[in-house]
Amino acid sequence: MNRASTFGLSSLIITATALVPSFAQSSSDQLNRSLLAASCANCHGTEGKPASPAVMPALSGQKSEDLLAQLLAYRNGTQAGTIMPQIAKGYSEEQLKIIAQYLGKS
Amino acid sequence: MQRRHFLSASAATLGSITSFASLGITGSARAAGIAHAEIVVIGGGYGGATAAKYLSLFSNRQARVTLIEPDDKFVSCPLSNLIVGGSQSLGDLTRSYDELTKQYGIKRIRDYASSIDPVKKTIKLKSGNVLRYDKLVLSPGVSMIWESVQGLIQANASGTTLQAWKAGPETERLHKQIAAMQDGGVYALSIPEAPYRCPPGPYERVCQVASYLKQHKPKSKIVVLDANQDIVSKGALFKKAWAELYPGMIDYLPSHNVVAVDAKSKTLKFDVQDDVKADVLNVLPSMRAGEIAVQTGLANASKRWVYVDFLTFESTAAKDIHVIGDATQNAQLMPKSGHMANQHAKVAAAAIVAELNDWPVAPAPLITNTCYSFVDAKRVVHVASVHAYDAKEKTFKVVPGSGGLSSEPSALEGTYAWSWARNIWSDMLA
Repeated sequence: MNRASTFGLSSLIITATALVPSFAQSSSDQLNRSLLAASCANCHGTEGKPASPAVMPALSGQKSEDLLAQLLAYRNGTQAGTIMPQIAKGYSEEQLKIIAQYLGKS
Repeated sequence: MQRRHFLSASAATLGSITSFASLGITGSARAAGIAHAEIVVIGGGYGGATAAKYLSLFSNRQARVTLIEPDDKFVSCPLSNLIVGGSQSLGDLTRSYDELTKQYGIKRIRDYASSIDPVKKTIKLKSGNVLRYDKLVLSPGVSMIWESVQGLIQANASGTTLQAWKAGPETERLHKQIAAMQDGGVYALSIPEAPYRCPPGPYERVCQVASYLKQHKPKSKIVVLDANQDIVSKGALFKKAWAELYPGMIDYLPSHNVVAVDAKSKTLKFDVQDDVKADVLNVLPSMRAGEIAVQTGLANASKRWVYVDFLTFESTAAKDIHVIGDATQNAQLMPKSGHMANQHAKVAAAAIVAELNDWPVAPAPLITNTCYSFVDAKRVVHVASVHAYDAKEKTFKVVPGSGGLSSEPSALEGTYAWSWARNIWSDMLA
């Protein structure tokens, strides 16, 4: 969360002195990250916080690096599962990285 | 939370900058900025409720969103076959809309949208009130083409046949009819030609009715009259479940297209095959986009479904009307499911937020589908897929190597199915 705040602050500082389009691009990028991470929310809850009683692990409670390691393991087949290996194979490594950074803790 | 604050701060600042930058776009909602645009969502199902919430989330509460929905509460179609089978009640699948207003500031109008004027950009409500919109999200679900089966309108009005395909009181009535049937009676389910809402739904319903009959009326039979040449979804899994769990109970007849129903003799008639008589008739006619989409002239795909630009879900027939969910013309292997409607809603909401801020829309959205089917009261099978936008062909395509099916029914996936339900209901309503 601090990382995000810091990023936000630096973005604001940079864009305050930059042209409007670069600021807009930065914000639409953030929106696009939110959209990508929202594809997980159906099964894992909005922003990775599951509804109670929770069966799925809370993605928001995990470290980004741990989350990414699990997602990559599902993707490359080293982690077994029912549905996640099938879903993870649909995302690129870069997309999984964005999701892990967005939903996980630093 | 903090991430959202970040987006909030930048969006708020950006709002003022882009509204300044966009002043030249006379008459456009963009000129006023997202905080002043009138955004209306019609339909509070899996698509519409998600769109309303995510318009608020993605704009950091900047968007002013009005949701028009005639029902007081949300009732889930997914899992409603469990009501037909008697293991759940309607109350188990009913949720409140209240949090959308309390937490996200969404204005809810309990009314029915009677017509849309896409030129004047207005919506007429059943109450007579008229609303103006800058951006409209239309999530009308499906409507039944009753006239596709002769005699069906009267038969369904009298309760001789039921559809129970939109979860509600009729779902409970269907269970009551099955419960009132004598042991040794026949339940008939007719399935229309695809595409229709919820591809595996009819076959899951067969499982649920069979599960009930096996326990309570074991001499009874089920006749499945499928207009399709084979089971449309999860075919091998359903066939195996029927053979192993309900041997001798289910008679599956493919390529049986119901053309007429005789309510008096409780008989279904077909193009060529012999008539079928049953004690309980569950007839699902062909389906098309929800009535209001058809009336507005948006159903430009075979006069049944709505073509959309898959980057924004804007109708190709009307500017600033974004159509999501079952009403849309499917991309390749994209099912008409609640999960998919939720995913459409997020892409549409993000596109609207981007457009109203003068940002480029997401160039390569990625969406998923997950669908669980109960083969009895506890055990479940799934199908999953991942769909990526293909910029060259301007459509979603299944990502090669992704997706798949369960290897066999399991109680573990039963717990996942209920977890899915709780989380997706929360994702759209809380």
